[in-house]
Amino acid sequence: MKYSYITPRKKSAFTTEVQLLILFFSITLGMLFITYLFLLFKDYSFIEDMNDIALTQSELSVEVSQMKEQIEFIEKENLLAQKIYTQNTVLKDSITNLFDLVPQRITLSEANLLENGLILYGITPNKDVYNFMLQAPLRSIFHRTYSSFHPADNGWLRFVSTNYIDEELSLSQEIESED
Amino acid sequence: MKISISRQHIYLLSLLTFFLVFVLLFSFALLIPEGKEYRKDRIEFKKESKELRKYQNFHSEVQVRLKELQSENRHIITAFDATFDPYRFQKQHRDYFSALTLSELSRVSDDDEFIAYEVNTTSEISTPKSFYDFLDAVNKSDWIISVEFPINFKRDGEMIKSSFTMKVFCADKDSNRTEPSVKEVAE
Repeated sequence: MKYSYITPRKKSAFTTEVQLLILFFSITLGMLFITYLFLLFKDYSFIEDMNDIALTQSELSVEVSQMKEQIEFIEKENLLAQKIYTQNTVLKDSITNLFDLVPQRITLSEANLLENGLILYGITPNKDVYNFMLQAPLRSIFHRTYSSFHPADNGWLRFVSTNYIDEELSLSQEIESED
Repeated sequence: MKISISRQHIYLLSLLTFFLVFVLLFSFALLIPEGKEYRKDRIEFKKESKELRKYQNFHSEVQVRLKELQSENRHIITAFDATFDPYRFQKQHRDYFSALTLSELSRVSDDDEFIAYEVNTTSEISTPKSFYDFLDAVNKSDWIISVEFPINFKRDGEMIKSSFTMKVFCADKDSNRTEPSVKEVAE
């Protein structure tokens, strides 16, 4: 016996409400998963980038220390070179002064420049010329001055003048002048 | 009073509760801690990047300083690196002397960074001015050379014979570096 003229529709658990609910939660969960994956990826990328930064920094640090060593070495080279150039210039001035010191009436045959002294060999017409024109300026420069004379063939006098600067005395004089 | 809820609604409510619990658990257990971690890492990364930029700037400054020093002191650096060549020295300075003889080069001092070689020199000059010019030229030569005491000048007819010692300085950058060529040069 039939109670209805229409065929009964099949009943399903996925009703429109359930479908809507599943769609809504699917979208929500999808977004949550995407966010979670994004965060995971960013964390991973931060860690990678920080490792790269640490590596770059250590490379830079090595380069900087090498460059600093080079700078220090060049500064040392420069300092030594300037010291040597000054020393050569001072030496040139000392030799110029020495030859300017010798008057025309006295003829030098040999000059020996030592680190703290000067030995001169030469010929002078007489002792007075030597004493006034050469020994006097030498005495003002050197602390100890010794002279010896030998007669030459032409009636002039051969002389040997030995002059020394005492390091201790010159140091104390420098200190006094600074005071 | 009887509340009638259809089975359909019970399913719906159960599903809704399940999804809600899942979303909450997922959020609190994974998403929020990960988000906090992300924020911490981002701050850390920014800090590290800033540090790196600062260090890169410092690196550039040091590099610029090095380049400046290298260009300012090019002659000195080249001179310290150059191996002493007695032939070339003689060729460069022969104009100042009538005769120039260099003795064998000998190593006199050796610290960590510089090596000093000594060379005895005998020469003949016509006037002291030649010697002054030579001392000026030594400061511009291809090597770092200091003229040392004692210096001897001796009259020999119209000429002046001079003998002195020169110290040649080299940079000791490489301990295995070869010694400068040592040869007697006489003119």
